Formats: sequence, C-alpha cells, structure tokens
Amino acid sequence: MIEVNDMKKKFGHKHVLKGVSFTAEKGEITCIIGINGVGKTTILNAIMNLTPLNGGQILIDGDTISKHSYEKITFIPDAIIMQPNMTITEAMQFMADFYDSWNQQRATELLDFFKLKESEKINNLSKGNRAKVNLLLGLALDVDYLLMDEPFSGIDIFSREQIADVFTSHLVEDRGVIITTHEINDIEHLIDKVVLLDEGKVLKQFNSEEVRETEGKSVVDVMREVYQP
Amino acid sequence: MNVTFNKRDPVYVQVIRHFKEQIATGTFEPGQEIPSRRELANRLKINPNTAQRAYKEMEEAGLIYTERNLPSKITKDEKILQSVRKELIMEAVDNFVHSVRSINVPVEEVLTLVKEKYESGREGDEA
Amino acid sequence: MNRFVKLLNFELSRFMKIYLVLMIVTFIVQITGMIVTANSYMAEANKMIYEEGMSQAQFIEQYGAMSFLGFARGLWFTGPIAVCAAALLFYIFMIWYRDWFGKNTFIYRLLMLPTARLNVYLAKAISIVLMVLGFVSVQLIFLPLENSVLKWLVPVDFRADMTVGQIVKWDYLSMLVPQTFTEFILYYGAGFMAVSVLFTAILFERSFKWKGILLGSVYAALSVVIMISPLLAMNFMDQYYLYPLETLGLEVVLGLLVTVMSLWMGNYLLTKKITV
Repeated sequence: MIEVNDMKKKFGHKHVLKGVSFTAEKGEITCIIGINGVGKTTILNAIMNLTPLNGGQILIDGDTISKHSYEKITFIPDAIIMQPNMTITEAMQFMADFYDSWNQQRATELLDFFKLKESEKINNLSKGNRAKVNLLLGLALDVDYLLMDEPFSGIDIFSREQIADVFTSHLVEDRGVIITTHEINDIEHLIDKVVLLDEGKVLKQFNSEEVRETEGKSVVDVMREVYQP
Repeated sequence: MNVTFNKRDPVYVQVIRHFKEQIATGTFEPGQEIPSRRELANRLKINPNTAQRAYKEMEEAGLIYTERNLPSKITKDEKILQSVRKELIMEAVDNFVHSVRSINVPVEEVLTLVKEKYESGREGDEA
Repeated sequence: MNRFVKLLNFELSRFMKIYLVLMIVTFIVQITGMIVTANSYMAEANKMIYEEGMSQAQFIEQYGAMSFLGFARGLWFTGPIAVCAAALLFYIFMIWYRDWFGKNTFIYRLLMLPTARLNVYLAKAISIVLMVLGFVSVQLIFLPLENSVLKWLVPVDFRADMTVGQIVKWDYLSMLVPQTFTEFILYYGAGFMAVSVLFTAILFERSFKWKGILLGSVYAALSVVIMISPLLAMNFMDQYYLYPLETLGLEVVLGLLVTVMSLWMGNYLLTKKITV
C-alpha cells in the first residue's frame, strides 16, 4: 500500500499542496483527478523523492523511500525519460543494465503489443509511439507499484485505446497503479479508486464501483457535485 | 463480446446482465467454458477487479461453476437456466407494460400490435 | 559490473562523439600548424641565404634555430588545447544541465536508478577527470609525432632538437603533464576538488533555483577562501610559521576537507533537496 499523509508543498509563497492524504492499494488502479492547476504531478514526484516536501510523510508498504524502492515502485512521467538519440533496443538495454527488476520477456511482449520497431530511434518516433516506449520502459519492470502521469494526454485516440488496453491486460497484472488525469471519460470503467483534488486538497476519495452501486452515480456525477456545488 | 456499459449502474451488475442475456439467447451454452477474469476484463475493457466481482456474484448465484483449477463454466442446472430466461422475459415485459400503461392503451389493441410487429420483425430478420 | 561502473561508462559514452572530434581536430590543427610553421621558417631561411646572401650561421644567429618550443608557443599548438580545455570546462556544467533541459528530462531516470545518488554525482565527476586525463594522454602521443614532422621538414643544421621528455618539462606543459606520481596525485586531486566544488554549486542552483545561484556562489567562494587561507594568514600575520613543505601539507589537508565537504553537500542536495 502507498500511504500519503498530510503532504505539503510550497513553490515560493504558493501553497501547491495543503495537506494531501490518500492511500493506494496494490491490485487497484487509483486515479488522481484535478480539473485545474498544478499539484498532481508534484504528488507523484514527491512519492518518488524527486522533489522535497514541506511536510508530510509517504510510506510504501510501510517504508520510507530509499534507493531500493526503485526496484519496487516506478514512475512513468508524461514525457519520455530516455536519451533521445538511443534506439528502443538501446533504451531497453539501459534499463536491463541498471534494474534487477527488468523483465525482458515482458518487454518483448510489450513491443509486440504496441507494434513498435526495436531498431527505431526514440527521436524519430511519433508522439504516440514515444508515449508507448515510455510506458514500455516502466511496465517491463517487475515492480509492485506504477505511477503514471497523464498517460492519456496529448496523444491520438488509437494510441489512447491501446494504452487503455494495457490496464486491463496481464501486463499490469496485480500491481498497484496510480494515474493522474484531468480527463476521466475514456477510463471510467477501468479505475477502482478516485481521488478528487482541488486547490491543493483532497476533496473526496471513493471507490467508483461503490458509488455506482450505492448512489447510482457515475464518477463524473460525483465530480460535478464536488467541483460545482 | 462487445458491450456498451452505462456509467451509472455498477459495472459488475451490467456484466452479470450481459451473461444472463447470452445464456438466455443460447450464445453461452450450458457447460461452456467462459473466459478467465483477466480475459474478460480485457475483452470488455473493464477493471479486472470488477470482472472478479461479477464472477464471484455469478458463482454465488449458481450461474457459473468452477471445478478445482479448471476454467469456470456456464451452469448446466436446468432450473437456474430456466429462471434466468424467465427473469429476463419478466423484466422486458415489466418495462414494456410500464411504458404502454403510461400512454393508456387498451391491452387488446397492444397485444394485436405486438403480435403483428413481432412477426413482421422476425420475417424481416429472415429475409 | 556494478552500477557505478555502468554509470561511468554511460557518462563517458554520451560525450564520446564530441570528445573524439575534439581530439581529431586537435591533431589535425597541430600537425597542420607544425607543417605551416616549419615551412615558413625554411622559406625565410632560403630567402635570407639564397637571395640576401646570409650565411647559415648568420641566419641561425639572427632568427634562432627552429625548436619545438617556438611552435608550442604559437596559436597552432595552444589554440586546440585551449579549445579542449574550454569544452571540458563548459561540459562540467552541461553534464548536469543536459539532463534537465529538452523534452527528455533524463534526470528522472538517473535519480530513479536503484543505486545511491552519490554514484550519479561521482560518475559525472570521475568522467570529467578521466576526460582531462585522456586529452593529456593523446597530447603526449601527438608530441613525438609532431616532433618527427619537424625533423622531417627542417634540416638538422637548422634545428634545436628536444626530446619529448624535455618538451613536457617546459612552462604550462609541465602543469598538464605531472613529472612525478606525487605531482600527478596533487594536480588531479586538485582538479577533482575543483570539479566537486563546481558540481555542488550547480546542485545548489538545481535545488533552490534563483536562491541557489547565490548559495552556490557563496559555497564556491567559501571553498576558495578555505584553500587560500594559509596565504591570507600570511598576509594578516607578520610572521609565517610554516615551511613550504608544511604549507603543501596544509593545502593537501584543506583540499581533502573541501572535497569531502563538497561530496557530502552534493549527496545531501541530491537525496533531500533536488527537484526534477
């Protein structure tokens, strides 16, 4: 379980996160939604110790993050994080060199799944394909938790569909996933848990299936109530 | 398998309903193997946990059964199969009656219309 | 291979293309320079001897014999060395900033490697030192080649021959090419210290942005003050109590202190304060 307790972050004098708390379980897809402004990416960065916090605590299966955590949890930012002059093969080799958790078999499977050509340079890929390589490099790690920043934004509809397919496939398996998005429509049926964020605070967190069952509301219905009372 | 889900009913309920329809129409035959939870999630593009939930509920209701580690199968229990069919028919009839009643049509007129429509529709399908 | 060695290998290979180009350009420019210098010297000699009727001895007396040092003082030789030095100095900054800039913010990947972040820092620092060492080494290979070109173009009577051993003892070359192992350790140790101070200053900037520039500058200034403190002490006090060798010892201790401080601070910033 990933536990985020009272996360606080300031940029200059601006309070971006004012005590954010939520949990994300293994085997579940947790979706952090914020309709405007910053904060979502900062939360993921902070979980990965890529930016310091002004307060709060993050626990991953009860432990604070250390170098060992990176074999257990990985982050897929919204832009590719590899050397652009590398080919896909070289990028995969880089990952294999550094991570014990690299799963070459799954990587090959993902190449196939996304219909990517190994010999191509990352630089020459389309935006959609670059997003897929980015996803591949993270998903092929045998980690328990995956954080993804806006995996659906800024790419074409078919790439979006393909990426959504990954979530329901064995490629994600029983891992814990946290994704951020500002657009829920495509993925309403894919997610377990929703964390609604605004102005640096969690306004509501709920299980999407539960809300449909007990209140007969869609995720968007709840968002409407929360964001436009 | 191509199902369009609405966004306000629990997805697992909609999945179960989809299964019932398939059973009632005979697309799923008694004793037929059904996809694994993961396959189902993938085909229907739904959360694997939701697929799991649907299977659990169906198992409890006796719609499907699992022997040891084998893939789950559609029930062969005639009583359950009949009740599924009946349930769907009753549901459809209820809906129909509800809408017809709201526009105050005499039942005889409705029945004649239904009969005509139903049969012409069937011929249309065959042609 | 452990992850540090892999990182070092990675850091070296990502600059390798430019690095090799710099080496090749150095070689071409220096050899060309040697040919041009030797030819113009001989042209002058021919003109003076055959047209002006000067004797060979008179010419050498007036113009001096052609020696390698005459060439080594010129821009043909020093230019490429200066360019390489400038490139490496620039790369001390770029080796960090390239990971933040552009669409591919590679720093995400580096910081998420399952290894101590200090390894990322050390791999970058050591690769800079190795690259300096590499430049000096190939320069040592170029020297005898250039020396042979000189011998080939200028007749023996006009030359003041020098061995490579003599050449590298001269002036700024003796700074680049340590004469003893102790010197080697001292020079490159000082180089590593300077790199670590700059790296830590860069990390201050990366961690605190505008405020970081100030902090980084203060940090660098503080390091300089520590290093020249014996000199300052000498100025402020009328007497100076240390022998030269003791001063050297003190400098070594201070240098180690500054290096360790830089590494510690760099590690702290990388693990606790850095923002991607």
